[in-house]
Amino acid sequence: MSRTTEPALSPKGLELDRRWRALAAQRRLYTILILLGVGGALVASLRYANETNAGDFFERLPHFFDFTSWLIPRDWNDVWRALFDVATPSADGTEATNYPLGRVYLFGDVYLPEYFELMLVTLNIALVSTLVGVLGGVSLCFLAARNTMTNAWMRGFARRVAEIMRAFPEIVIAGFFAAILSIGPIAAIFAVGIHTIGALGKLFYEVVENIDMGANEGLSAVGANWFEKVRFGTLPLILPNLVSYSLLRLEINVRASTIIGAVGGGGIGQELKLAISRGFGAKTLALVLILFVTIVIVDNLSAHLRRRLVGEQAFGL
Amino acid sequence: MLVLDDVTRRFNEKTAVAGVSLSIPSGSFVGVIGRSGAGKSTLLRMVNRLVDPTSGAIRFGDVDVTKLQGKALRDWRARCAMIFQQFNLVGRLDVLTNVMLGRLNHRPTAYSLVKSFTDRERAMAISALERLGIAEVALQRAGTLSGGQQQRVAIARAILQEPEIILADEPIASLDPRNAQVVMRSLQALNRNDGITVVTNLHTLDTAREYCSRVIAMANGRVVFDGAPEALTEPVVREIYGVEADDASFSERATSTSLGFGLNPSPAFAVS
Repeated sequence: MSRTTEPALSPKGLELDRRWRALAAQRRLYTILILLGVGGALVASLRYANETNAGDFFERLPHFFDFTSWLIPRDWNDVWRALFDVATPSADGTEATNYPLGRVYLFGDVYLPEYFELMLVTLNIALVSTLVGVLGGVSLCFLAARNTMTNAWMRGFARRVAEIMRAFPEIVIAGFFAAILSIGPIAAIFAVGIHTIGALGKLFYEVVENIDMGANEGLSAVGANWFEKVRFGTLPLILPNLVSYSLLRLEINVRASTIIGAVGGGGIGQELKLAISRGFGAKTLALVLILFVTIVIVDNLSAHLRRRLVGEQAFGL
Repeated sequence: MLVLDDVTRRFNEKTAVAGVSLSIPSGSFVGVIGRSGAGKSTLLRMVNRLVDPTSGAIRFGDVDVTKLQGKALRDWRARCAMIFQQFNLVGRLDVLTNVMLGRLNHRPTAYSLVKSFTDRERAMAISALERLGIAEVALQRAGTLSGGQQQRVAIARAILQEPEIILADEPIASLDPRNAQVVMRSLQALNRNDGITVVTNLHTLDTAREYCSRVIAMANGRVVFDGAPEALTEPVVREIYGVEADDASFSERATSTSLGFGLNPSPAFAVS
């Protein structure tokens, strides 16, 4: 870098140059310190995790495939048979290979395979809890946002409600409700729904705080009351983001509902936990397959819906 | 010499620009006027390829602008700086950095990404700001400045591109008359002292008359007038803006933004 300053600067310009360089050097120092801090924290956390682990990560890595060997079925076609509840020639009389057992007969000989039914139970949990979460989150967000709610007490109350609702992991809430409402999807809906209200409430009120208040000012000048301003000055502006976050939450909730199943929330998660713990190889693979395909479909469907509902222009395309 | 040859741009069913042919000699100061939606913006944005023409060719010297891609296109964009109505600065960065961003095409990307600028580039930026009379705000965030100041920062950024053409898309539409005058005079100085060709969209006729050596009027995507500002007589203006001949209430002054002291209230606002 050459030290010649051309074009020649006035004394004021030189002073400006010096001050800008001092400012830039200071900013750069902060950036470097932050990066070093983040890097150091990452290395330290990983090392600590490895030290507190029972076995060393790199020593245990080669045993990865020992553990999964029980998954390999005697006949790969058994995965399909397990998925569609078709009897297998390699049936040995145990539950591990008795696929038709779980058939859910609709009428006559027409049946819904067990895992499809369980997947529906789980999807239903996700859907209901997302709807509950969106309704709750929207109701909370206008009370919690600084620009729509000027009363600090009301705002604080709404924010604490949202915080408490999302503070507990779904599994903890599910365990609590399973004890009261008995094991099954109702407890799961409560658990996922409550957490979703809290999580979406926070995301939504941050969206509300980011809007341009011009429209609200316009409506104030018209003589609109609080509800009218929220309805016409705020809601239309946040709707695209609302849709995006709600659909993202639906995707998250499909996974959450599956996990909840493993702690007594019913649905496909419960079956997956059973299959793994008892070592049902083909059944486990069938469950993993249907879960994987469903999640891919839900994610793509929600991406498609988002484009349709929000419109291409919101993505800057 | 910038040459547009039968340039057309369609958006779905709507034709924004329809078969426009123009040639603009280097060093001229051209104003483009017309109603909203006449295709002025699209025309300008096709020159630096922010919008691609549907058909036709744009040439500058021996460069076929319409065929450029990748690095060659970015080089071309650096040669024709653009000034926007809403300034399009990076509001969260300080003014001096915003101005130095005008150098991006002239320097290695790796250095730019870590904000490492040379002494010469900083000196260029400071003298550009001094030239526009806003050096005192150099360390502020661009977003905190007034509209007139932001537009001058945008012009300073354009100067650092060392452009041959400046395209200005309604540069003064969001500014008060005083700032509008400062911005137009800055563009005029760049045109006269540095020989930079200026093509600017304007929505006020008096500005076009005062600063431009040539006025191009567009209506429905076509050029309907191209000549000296003196040739813009009232019947011509009525045709450009689609005003009925018997509508006596139309006056050029209704859109005036000049600091015309002692101007009578415009007839358009007269109480009847």
